[in-house]
Amino acid sequence: MPLLEVRDLHKSYGALDVLKGIDLTVDPGEIVGFIGASGSGKSTLLRCMNHMEVPTKGIVMLEGEIVGVTHKGDRLVPRPARDLSQQRRKMAMVFQHFNLWPHKTTLENVMEGPVTVQKIPKAEARDRALAALKRVGLKEKADTYPSRLSGGQQQRVGIARALALQPQVILFDEPTSALDPELVNEVLNVIRSLGEDGITLVIVTHEMRFAREVCDKVIFLDEGRVADMGSPDHIFGTTENPRTRAFVQNYFG
Amino acid sequence: MEYDWNFAIVWDYRMVLLRGLGQTVLLAGITIVLSTILGLVLATLRDSRIPLVYPVLSTFVSVVRAVPVLVLLVWMYYCLPILTGLKMNGFTTVTIALSIYSAAFYSEIFRGGIRSIDRGMIEAGQSVGMTRGQVFQRIVGPLAFQRIFPPFVNQCILVLKNTTLAGYVAVPELLYLGQQISVRTFRPLELLTAVAVLFIVTIVPLTLLAEHIEKTFHNKYYR
Repeated sequence: MPLLEVRDLHKSYGALDVLKGIDLTVDPGEIVGFIGASGSGKSTLLRCMNHMEVPTKGIVMLEGEIVGVTHKGDRLVPRPARDLSQQRRKMAMVFQHFNLWPHKTTLENVMEGPVTVQKIPKAEARDRALAALKRVGLKEKADTYPSRLSGGQQQRVGIARALALQPQVILFDEPTSALDPELVNEVLNVIRSLGEDGITLVIVTHEMRFAREVCDKVIFLDEGRVADMGSPDHIFGTTENPRTRAFVQNYFG
Repeated sequence: MEYDWNFAIVWDYRMVLLRGLGQTVLLAGITIVLSTILGLVLATLRDSRIPLVYPVLSTFVSVVRAVPVLVLLVWMYYCLPILTGLKMNGFTTVTIALSIYSAAFYSEIFRGGIRSIDRGMIEAGQSVGMTRGQVFQRIVGPLAFQRIFPPFVNQCILVLKNTTLAGYVAVPELLYLGQQISVRTFRPLELLTAVAVLFIVTIVPLTLLAEHIEKTFHNKYYR
């Protein structure tokens, strides 16, 4: 059974159709990259996965359970807040603009989920948070407030915050797009190492080189549809799809 | 022009003036508590999705803010008994009128503060699995508090000064008593100066405290 499954997913904002029927699966341990032009629906798709955006039609399944909604007869009704909360916890998210909470230290940012949502005792959550910070190489910044960290460090804390939830999958929404070029690699290296540890990752990215080197599967989105999907070798090499080729060529020249 | 200052008169009436100050502070204290609560309720309800709530409350806030507070006070003191037969004493009337008036301002301060919080902060909360209540309690509330604090203190100072209107319905607050004494002693300049000094020594320390707290926030989180 796939870990994540997206079935016939549509999302529109008024007359604007952003997603026009997406089907895909993510297997446990798989690293999946979403690529595509701005406005192709990559981020919206990612945000539908953890129900941050409510799909107009179609469903997302996590471990065989529909995310955010549940069947009542033949209708779909919203799940109780608590259920959704648990599902979201299993699909931690890392944001383009980090979104660290400025009034909490690095450690508190990372502990917040385990303590508030999972109700884990503080001492245990603290150990878990410190381990997550160590994992991203920022244990010594535990007591620092986010405003005193560089962008790359803030994003690594964002990753630690996701890790501390012990999620089934981590969703990355353009994790390096807001970073200065010299800070991109420290973040990509952390993401790469998570993949090597077998954590399931879904990554929306503009870093083509990274997608080619790290992902098991790359999905090319074009105008709200999956235009092409396959191994990096397929997407960045052998594909016959003219739009994929045009898009990829833009990056690699 | 020659004027023979006589501040001894202020000392003679010091107990009366201090009693007036006590009344002023009490009036302001009760008003601030009541209007903060009412303001929070207004701020929360205005953004609710219940139909009609938004137009009704936003009209209420706009109208109350537009009416001069003295008119509101006099109206409640003289007209409300005629219309409803309900007669309240001056102190209660002033407290209620000022609370309603100030609540309209507080509610805007609170609402603005809450809405100014970056959407990303809220999404980060949701992404770790927080419910709406948890997001408000852990993230939006504390962050909004820092933004709200300076205008909140400012509004509290205005409440303190607005209490001087209570004299119009014969509540013995500081300015009212100062004027009563000056009528009796023909020393308005000395007494009004004393009233001003008492207001200054009450309000300025509050301002300094507020600035200190604000600076502490800033140094702790944003430096």
